[in-house]
Amino acid sequence: MNLGKEFSKGILSENPLFRLTLGMCPSLAITTSVFNGLGMGIAFTVVLLASNIVISLLRKVIPDSIRIPCYIVIIATFVTMIEMIMHAFTPELFESLGIFIPLIVVNCIILGRAEAFANKNSLAPSIMDALGMGLGYTLALLVVSTFREILGAGTFLGYAIFGQSALIMILPPGAFITLGCVLAFLNKIQNRTKHSVNS
Amino acid sequence: MREMMLIIIGAVLVNNIVLSQFLGICPFLGVSKKLKSALGMGMAVTFVMTLASALTWLIQRYILEKMQIEYLQTIAFILVIASLVQFVEMVIRKTSPDLYKSLGVYLPLITTNCAVLGVAIINIQKSYTFAQTLTNSIANALGFTLALILFAGIRERLEDANVPKCFEGMPIALITAALMSIAFLGFTGLQ
Amino acid sequence: MRKVLKLSLFLLIVASIAGFSISYVNGITDPLIEQQNAEKKQSSFNDVYPGADDVKDESKKYITNDSDEVVKEVNIAYKSNIPVGVIYTVKPNGYNGKIEMLVGFDINSKKITAIKILSQSETPGLGANSKESFFSDRFKGLNAESSIEIVKKESVQDNEVLAITAATITSKAVASGVNVARQHFISNFAK
Repeated sequence: MNLGKEFSKGILSENPLFRLTLGMCPSLAITTSVFNGLGMGIAFTVVLLASNIVISLLRKVIPDSIRIPCYIVIIATFVTMIEMIMHAFTPELFESLGIFIPLIVVNCIILGRAEAFANKNSLAPSIMDALGMGLGYTLALLVVSTFREILGAGTFLGYAIFGQSALIMILPPGAFITLGCVLAFLNKIQNRTKHSVNS
Repeated sequence: MREMMLIIIGAVLVNNIVLSQFLGICPFLGVSKKLKSALGMGMAVTFVMTLASALTWLIQRYILEKMQIEYLQTIAFILVIASLVQFVEMVIRKTSPDLYKSLGVYLPLITTNCAVLGVAIINIQKSYTFAQTLTNSIANALGFTLALILFAGIRERLEDANVPKCFEGMPIALITAALMSIAFLGFTGLQ
Repeated sequence: MRKVLKLSLFLLIVASIAGFSISYVNGITDPLIEQQNAEKKQSSFNDVYPGADDVKDESKKYITNDSDEVVKEVNIAYKSNIPVGVIYTVKPNGYNGKIEMLVGFDINSKKITAIKILSQSETPGLGANSKESFFSDRFKGLNAESSIEIVKKESVQDNEVLAITAATITSKAVASGVNVARQHFISNFAK
């Protein structure tokens, strides 16, 4: 099994947000600033990594008929831990991500990876899969939040870039517009490469 | 009474759960291609959200707080919601096959619907009373259903529209949601 | 039947391992969080009423059944054991939920020393700007003896505060919190 491929698929060809359009809620809600996007991406990656490791190790122990409740308990445990650790060490991030930290539990990507990958594969590929998917999701969040922060607040990571800003991009509609345009742009690129391959 | 009205207006229109709080986006985008399925999903969510909020409120109040283990909130709530959904599915299948036919397919999807867990947690965070919790969850579910039905209505027409190729599918759905969200911004200040 | 028992036992074991590990982490992080909150509180007190030697929570003495329920805490700032200032924690209703804020008064001059927003969930880019110093500075030095009004035009008179652009409701909510604290201050500390 090619470990490099397990890692890289999450970033481009199977990017959870851009390609599989999973995990939309946080990607729309917390991407008002690059800092938030980065924080969410890291928290998400840690939870995914931990749950993939545990589920991969226990894949022969967990009885098949109750695997989903077991996964949910395992994921919820790691989410709660991350929530406490963030509260203790990065209180500002904890406050601005708010309810979306506990909601990592119901992020379909994590349960999806547990069901589709970690319970079928051994430890090393599961780790690579989690890192790749986590990085892919983080990058996607960064793309969306960079657009929104620069256009909506005129800043990048808090540093002023423009004096003027389009407030709508920080408000809820801006989230839908940004993600819609990014997805359309990616479609365009994909169509073009398909064409060039055909011709 | 006035406070209840404020909660309802706030949840349905001003802070619409989908369009301004971004909870339950997956079913919003996934089950909105047909008006009929949107209605079914809306009803299923209303049913589960109300039951789940009531149950989680009681658990928070009489178990977690009594034993001072509030930090187990996330894990307790998600287990309650998951088993509730299973239970509801079983009961509906046994008692009313007709209802099961219309709601059945949507029920398993609700476990990972972040709106249900989200509203349950918000009810606790805002330290609502039991009556307020019920009002808030019904209102939020109605807000969800309203957004879903409006959106499905628009998408049915969008099928016939001439959309630029790269915007087909998800992108145009998101842009549509953006326009709806702008419209809902107009309710700002009703509270 | 035995299978069901075995499966439930397995789930129980998984859940209890989860519970134990969470409470272990909680044991480590909880004191850190407490300490952080305490430090944050002290430093916010210093922002709102600089230069006090000691700040004591005397809410029990000053919050009675008659007090407005918006008033959450009454802290007295001491300088060489003489009470010199009062710092209120108030929680008025904002546009999007409660706004938690501190309001400081100087007992001698009967003026507002400063206000500080501790937590809020207002609209990012609009009402959320209430936590920025450009807005809270507008309350500095206002006389506590007359009511504070929010106005929308530049030319402010005594005891008028310019609203945040496009966030009048939030501005008014902050002012209402200040006014509640002000009334309590005048009736309890201004002899």
